[in-house]
Amino acid sequence: MSVSTAETIQAGTLEPEVKKRKADWRQTFVHYYLGPIIAFVVVTALWQLVPSWLGMKPFIFPKPTDVLEAAVQDWSILWEAVRITVVESVIGFLLSAIIGIGVSVLLASSLILERSIYPYAIILQTIPVVAVAPLVVIWFGAGYNSIVAIAFLIGFFPVISNTLMGLNSVDRSMDELFTLYHSSKWQKMWKLRLPAAMPYMMTGLKISCTLSIVGAIVGEYVAGIGGGKGGLGYAITIAAVQMKTPFLFACGIAAAILGITFYLVVSLISNRILGSWHESAMK
Amino acid sequence: MGDKEQGHFVAFHHVGKIYSTGTTALADVHFGIGEGDFVSFLGPSGCGKSTALRMVAGLEEASSGSVLVGGKEPKRVIRESNDIAFVFQEANLLPWRTVLDNVILPLELRGGSMKEHRTEAKRVLEMVGLKDYMKAYPRQLSGGMKMRVSIARALAAKPKLLLMDEPFAALDEITRQTLQMELLDIWRREKMTVLFVTHNVFEAVLLSSRIAVMSARPGRLSTMIDVELPYPRTLAMRTDRSFGEYVDRASSYLEHGSLRKELG
Repeated sequence: MSVSTAETIQAGTLEPEVKKRKADWRQTFVHYYLGPIIAFVVVTALWQLVPSWLGMKPFIFPKPTDVLEAAVQDWSILWEAVRITVVESVIGFLLSAIIGIGVSVLLASSLILERSIYPYAIILQTIPVVAVAPLVVIWFGAGYNSIVAIAFLIGFFPVISNTLMGLNSVDRSMDELFTLYHSSKWQKMWKLRLPAAMPYMMTGLKISCTLSIVGAIVGEYVAGIGGGKGGLGYAITIAAVQMKTPFLFACGIAAAILGITFYLVVSLISNRILGSWHESAMK
Repeated sequence: MGDKEQGHFVAFHHVGKIYSTGTTALADVHFGIGEGDFVSFLGPSGCGKSTALRMVAGLEEASSGSVLVGGKEPKRVIRESNDIAFVFQEANLLPWRTVLDNVILPLELRGGSMKEHRTEAKRVLEMVGLKDYMKAYPRQLSGGMKMRVSIARALAAKPKLLLMDEPFAALDEITRQTLQMELLDIWRREKMTVLFVTHNVFEAVLLSSRIAVMSARPGRLSTMIDVELPYPRTLAMRTDRSFGEYVDRASSYLEHGSLRKELG
């Protein structure tokens, strides 16, 4: 933003500037957007045409029109499933954000604590969530609680590792500056380390928000319950069993859109928070 | 402690510093600085001048001997007051805070009325000519302006002792000259003691009332030079004969041979 203002001042008159901006926009479009759009159209067209040419059945490989049809036909089921998955993953994500940041602050405030506990956090992180999921179901029972717990578990570690890295990334002379003004440990945490960790924290949250959807869907596979209360994972299992392949595709695409939206929302919030100062938010 | 009766505000008492790697950074540095002095630590890189300065701020411990500020351990001075301020080579501003909020920081950390702090911060910002940039963020400022904010922040707490570790080294020549003059102005007005680390002989002579010339490996105090040029000093003084003589004298004590040749 600041660059374009500087250019305005240098250009002097406004009119060539407007023209230039239009040209700029066209250039950006050609450089960045045109390619992906063409690729999308080509792939979708091939996807539509190839199964027809090869005479593939929709339950083996559905065409885009089949998927669309299935989505429209079972819209109420799909919409309900999406709604449930959104709620589960958002709760799971919020828990991993709050608990993750809280635990990081606690660990970062004591070197001994961090040194003794952090290695185990890394080890825990490497255990695949699918392996832990059945255990979670044993503890929390089938249903929401387990699903939220799994979504939380999968999103929790990226938050911790990134936040901790950020809290420990503070420049030495900044730290010394606070020492010179005799700041307390908590003043240092609130006024220096946490703000300095913010960009790292936001990166962790961006990773964990998409993971929380994966967690919720995995959770629904193992702990989903039916009766109109199943999320996307549950809907996918049912569709697979019933060979409703077009609907399965619809669910998969819905999950992808969900992930992208969630990521964009968190990015937007992160840019708002970092906007005033951090370079990564200014690009 | 024996240095207190000599009336030295900052006293180095046979100070030695050996790093855990075995390198001797300082060896038997022994001298005192009077209140109100402007003293430069001049020396080649690796002579321990920054280490000496950091000891005065309590950021570094002496391996032998002691450093006292007003007869007290630096760490105690820091605990009890804002009497010691430090300006780093980089401006070290918090990027998420505005200029005003950066300057308020030292006051804020001590507690007290934020309204008074704000008035005080505005006063020092005016002193460094940045009153119109109070609401700007550090990234919007040039290197010279950032350094001004950094100096304003150091001044905000009304320190008795201002420590500066090559504060102008990263700036361009023109900005440096302006800031040098402004610093002298502020020093005279606020009546502080300034300890200033530099490797620039001209800068040392131009600013200081005394120069502590140091030599490297191990860091030792070569000599103390009293610069008896009158204040207020001006950039024009650099062409004076006496200025040149001081530069010559300081240079002759520097170990760095190449610098000596350059000066003829």
